[in-house]
Amino acid sequence: MQEFLQLVLSGIATGGIYASLALALVLIYNAMGLVNFAQGEMAMLATFVGYALITRGMSFWIAFPVTLVLAFGGGIVIQRVVIKPVEKAPVLTLVIITLGLATLVNGLAGFIWGYLPRTFPSPFSSDSVDLGGVFVSYRDVGVIAVTGVVLLCVYLLLQHTTVGLTLRAAAHHPEASRLLGVHVSWMLALGWGLASAVGAVSGMMVAPVLFLEPNMMQTIIIYAFAAAVLGGIESPLGAVVGGLIVGVTINLAGAYLPGVGGDLQLAVGLAIIIVVLILKPNGLFGQAAVRRV
Amino acid sequence: MTALLELEEVHAGYGPTSVLHGVSLSVPEGGVVSLLGANGAGKTTTLRAITGGVRWTGDIRFAGRSLRRMPTEEIVRRGIAHVPEGRGICTELTVDENLKLGSHLRRDGPEVRKDYDRVFEYFPVLKERRRLSASTLSGGEQQMLAVARALLMRPRLMLLDEPSLGLAPMVVRSIFEIIRTINQTSNVAVLLVEQNARIALEMSSSAYVLEVGRVAVHGAGSELQDNESVRRSYLGY
Amino acid sequence: MSRIRTAPPRYWLVALAVIFFFGLPTVMSSYLASEWSQALILAVAIMGLNILVGYSGQLSLGHGAFMALGAYTSAILVHRYKMDFLVTIPIAAVFTGLVGFLFGVPALRLSPLYLALATFALAVVTPSLIKRPDKLTGGVQGILVVQPDPPQVAGNAYSAVTGTVMTSDQWIYYVVLFCALILFWLAWNLARHRPGRAMRAIRDGEVAAAASGINVAGYKTLAFGISAFYAGTAGSLFALSTGFVSPDTFPVSLSIQLLVGAVVGGLASIPGPVLGAIVAYFLPIASSQWVPSQTWLPDQVTSTVKNAGPAVSYGAILILIMMFAPNGIVGLVKAGYTVLNRRLRGVSDPKSGQMPSDPETV
Repeated sequence: MQEFLQLVLSGIATGGIYASLALALVLIYNAMGLVNFAQGEMAMLATFVGYALITRGMSFWIAFPVTLVLAFGGGIVIQRVVIKPVEKAPVLTLVIITLGLATLVNGLAGFIWGYLPRTFPSPFSSDSVDLGGVFVSYRDVGVIAVTGVVLLCVYLLLQHTTVGLTLRAAAHHPEASRLLGVHVSWMLALGWGLASAVGAVSGMMVAPVLFLEPNMMQTIIIYAFAAAVLGGIESPLGAVVGGLIVGVTINLAGAYLPGVGGDLQLAVGLAIIIVVLILKPNGLFGQAAVRRV
Repeated sequence: MTALLELEEVHAGYGPTSVLHGVSLSVPEGGVVSLLGANGAGKTTTLRAITGGVRWTGDIRFAGRSLRRMPTEEIVRRGIAHVPEGRGICTELTVDENLKLGSHLRRDGPEVRKDYDRVFEYFPVLKERRRLSASTLSGGEQQMLAVARALLMRPRLMLLDEPSLGLAPMVVRSIFEIIRTINQTSNVAVLLVEQNARIALEMSSSAYVLEVGRVAVHGAGSELQDNESVRRSYLGY
Repeated sequence: MSRIRTAPPRYWLVALAVIFFFGLPTVMSSYLASEWSQALILAVAIMGLNILVGYSGQLSLGHGAFMALGAYTSAILVHRYKMDFLVTIPIAAVFTGLVGFLFGVPALRLSPLYLALATFALAVVTPSLIKRPDKLTGGVQGILVVQPDPPQVAGNAYSAVTGTVMTSDQWIYYVVLFCALILFWLAWNLARHRPGRAMRAIRDGEVAAAASGINVAGYKTLAFGISAFYAGTAGSLFALSTGFVSPDTFPVSLSIQLLVGAVVGGLASIPGPVLGAIVAYFLPIASSQWVPSQTWLPDQVTSTVKNAGPAVSYGAILILIMMFAPNGIVGLVKAGYTVLNRRLRGVSDPKSGQMPSDPETV
């Protein structure tokens, strides 16, 4: 039982990481009906930037927000340079472009930092605290806290600010929004920036657990896909819930299902994606109508 | 009196098909002008040209300034509220959020609050449903929401594209009543596209009848109403 | 004679290409022959992907998985059951084709975007899926496949023409070329007859296609099956030509390489995959050989370029092609030809190449 609770808790921690990346996917999906295959690689690049800042002597807690701001700017630049010129292209063309972007970013990171795995400093102590027999590591608690705060901020931004309102309006009803004076094109760029920053959180949180290298996010993005699909790819709330479910499921499957240790956990992610897409393609929180797909 | 909005020899179309073949019209400050005509005559396209929704040549001036090559967002920010065909309600958002989109550019807080009060006075049903998703509103209520949202933009000119479409006659009456009130109390000019020529002409100071992309007839509202042959051949009543 | 004279120029081009590919091993080293084998194998797999993406409008980002299936089928049959490699090629192809056909059934339920997502996930998971049943697949170690010596007849014929002894790489090259020719001929027939027309109609609008009596579900699954058949053949040939399969032979980047080839060459065209394969195969090799040969660059730079070069060039190519030449090389050539034609004769332009439009937006 104690082991079970521990597994659930650390599952929630990794789930928070998947949730951040899944939320980034959902933000872009909502803005333009597109799955951004480069989301994980963009997060990886941001994490390298954070790493560069930290190794130059910046403390983690300063480097973290600075990295998010840089990732935000980077996302906007990518949208302006790569995505905007092909905005109106068929969605499969856009998918291929984001895949190209993923490959390019991966290569660039390899070009600049090489492919040797590096240890990324964790901001949290590796100690555990004994809570009634359940050992809770500060790392898990810290990751849950950070991702929780970030997700809450995104929620507040989207639901309770004017910018968030215009962002949502521009995503769902670009024509009507334009007539209300919303700069739709810039809202899309803002969406990319926001997604990029939220995705960067997942990179910064996962890097201390894995090692930092250009292919670091390749497995994480699969879990994030699973989370986004499970929650319903249009639903920000669904992404968060989906992320937590995926995190806990993967952890428990790894521990209790015979033969599902190590890299086969990834197959569990694939199985979630395929089962959800076939049985309930709109996910847990999605609505039945499919727009612009 | 100087014209608030002026179209001069406007040609417009979609891709290779041109729809407008030189439309000229003007809307005076604070006036109500109807744009009538059969389906496909170019009424909606004219409105879309004004707010930059289609490419056009010729000239369109608003408050003395040309709107050439201006993006839609900028045109709207200059004081034109366009209630498009199909009303343009954001059905993913609540009623309140839709209204907020109308006023989101305004910085005059107290005035905005007054306008909200006014809007809720005109359309009490919107106040009751503030927190509901706009998708739950009926067609008439959505039209009210669209007009209310346009009003909250505090425009100098409102472009209304068939506000009566698909609505029950009673509802049409009350919406037109309110449009007239808005026009008179806030000095908002209105350019009204309507199929229902009778009700449109009643409240218009002047009217234009479009026929395949050209202005066929132009005159004061009452003049057109009284002219039997115009009524028969163009307005169908 | 008169038939030859009136043959359209593209038949001449095809004949030239066939002669070129036949003569290739006689003028180059055995090592280069095996490189060209790889390029041709890639062309077969890309042709398969092209049938799926270009003709039927379904985007698969996981075709490397089907290649892996074909490769392992052959490798296991040869290694454990001591079968002759040549016999295993059709077995692997048909088996992979069947699996692809079955895969196509659930794929029908997915929107194009979701299909891309699911197949991408499949591509990422493929290496770990291969590793697990290690009794069968040899796990991380993989399986060695003994490369066959050229048969007497072929060896003699080769010696008679070139005066040198045929190596096993050269023999494999001809096996690959033989398979590729058959499969391209099949694809060409498929494209210009009923199935090809039906698939294009589905790509351009499912509702309209169904309304004109096309069995949409049937053709979409068929496209998946045929496409996997091609990928399986390619995988089998791949195992033959490298003599070794392991989980790391089939990373995600293989699936991306296939996509690059399909897009660069030009979707929904027959010569496209050949051109695309040549670019997709030789470009990273060329770039990773050119940079280290530049002695003025520091060692560290050259080694990272060697590793990162393919990814950077593939990524840049994918983006640039999709932005500026969505019909690939074939599209560019056709457009150039049209412009030239119009300049020279004032002919109005024929319909240019096609991009698969998004079925659901039509």
